[in-house]
Amino acid sequence: MPVPSLAPAVTGGGFSFLPMTLVFTPPPRTVSPLSRLDPRWKLAAIILAGLVTAVVHTPRGAVTALAGALMLSVLGRLPWRWCVLRLAPVLLFVAVFAVPVIFFPTYAGPMWQFGSATFSVSGAETALVLLCKAAALVLLALVVLATAPLDALLKAAHALYFPGLLVQLALLSYRYLFVLADELGRLRIAVRVRGYRNRANLHSYRTIGAVTGALLVRGWERGERVGHAMRCRGFDGRFRSLSEFRTTGADVLMFFVVTGGTVAVCVLDCTR
Amino acid sequence: MSADAAIQVSDLTYAYPRGPTALDRISFEAAVGESVGLIGPNGAGKTSLFLCLSGVIVPQARALRVGGLDLHDPAQRRQLPSHVGVVFQNSDDQLFNATVFDDVAFGPLNLGLPPDEVRRRTAEALTAVALTGLEERPPFHLSGGEKRRVALAGVLAMRPGVLLLDEPSSHLDPRGRREFIRLLTGLPGTKIIASHDLELVLQTCPRVLLLDGGRLIADGPAGTILADESLMEQHGLETPYSLRGTARP
Repeated sequence: MPVPSLAPAVTGGGFSFLPMTLVFTPPPRTVSPLSRLDPRWKLAAIILAGLVTAVVHTPRGAVTALAGALMLSVLGRLPWRWCVLRLAPVLLFVAVFAVPVIFFPTYAGPMWQFGSATFSVSGAETALVLLCKAAALVLLALVVLATAPLDALLKAAHALYFPGLLVQLALLSYRYLFVLADELGRLRIAVRVRGYRNRANLHSYRTIGAVTGALLVRGWERGERVGHAMRCRGFDGRFRSLSEFRTTGADVLMFFVVTGGTVAVCVLDCTR
Repeated sequence: MSADAAIQVSDLTYAYPRGPTALDRISFEAAVGESVGLIGPNGAGKTSLFLCLSGVIVPQARALRVGGLDLHDPAQRRQLPSHVGVVFQNSDDQLFNATVFDDVAFGPLNLGLPPDEVRRRTAEALTAVALTGLEERPPFHLSGGEKRRVALAGVLAMRPGVLLLDEPSSHLDPRGRREFIRLLTGLPGTKIIASHDLELVLQTCPRVLLLDGGRLIADGPAGTILADESLMEQHGLETPYSLRGTARP
């Protein structure tokens, strides 16, 4: 049963922690040239792109990777607000580590002087690389999530020889996140109607601990019941799916275009 | 014991590890096609009995046969999912796939059926519960009544001879409950229905088993047992409104 939220909900999907509320909605389903493609080819191309993005180390490579990811997000018609809401926390987190590098250079090299402050060019480059890579990786993940239903993506992952156990774990986690989010919503309402408000004191910490504990116990009990239900329907630990994927010329073309772009990023990154 | 019974239970006893005895020397039979109500207060052992009958937990018993399978034999116990279907009390425990279609197809896929047969059974089961058109919907976007019907479809797609339903009317609004009762009465096969909703039991089951404290207290016609106000009160139950004042002295 959906639990009424105590604060305005953020539309667009994903986890959003707002004051005294937790909203969890599935990713948006966009209609775009990318969403019509076979998830297997799309996933394979984007995983390759993600791996290369993760290892680029020059500003040129990182900026090109980010540009490629931006192009894919435009092609995938991702809702910009949905993207920004997910990019911002990641970039803020990375910035905590990336920005100090500019002020505390560890490499010898050219420096910029602005008044009494000194900035390292190599430090600025490192920060740029870190931020661009993080943004590109998040965008690639969002493109994958928004252009195919998650269950189809996970089945595609299984078709690409990802271990069945991991695919099942991901499918079950996705399904029961909503149920646990509802449970948490009910628990939070239960404590609020008895006068509880978040404060920085021992009572609050103890209450948060108790709520977390109750959620864990309920999650474990539910896990037991789900296990019973699965066994009652003949589950023997193997992942089975009826999904039939069909490859078209557009899938192969997209794969080679994205992979070509990935190779170009590699070449740019390695060429000094 | 009758050889053609769908369920044969004799001296079934089960205690949870480091826990109390959940079921104590339970014995009963259910004929093929019979609908039996299972009533009792909370903690009476209704769900534990279902878990025993579905092979999830293995009790001690002099005889335990369900759908013609001897549950003492591990090889026969593995065949149980195609003979016994369980609809659990909370549908969220049962609907673990990302779409309604995947959930209903889950059981037939586990039986190793060919894809066309899986699709046919899934479509038939969804038609039987009047949910055609919701195949691609995620289960968490369904109402309580729809979730319950998807859970039932998932079980019907296995075509079990024995159906165990745990609190089928819980979390349902009056219309959903009415529709579910209509659906239940039209289903073939042997049915055991555990419920606190005694009006539902009265409408769907000619016979009732009364459990309390893990023991089988009474086994008889639903009208007689449910109308016995002192028996009902003694075991934490209430005579259904429609039977009040009809008990014979």
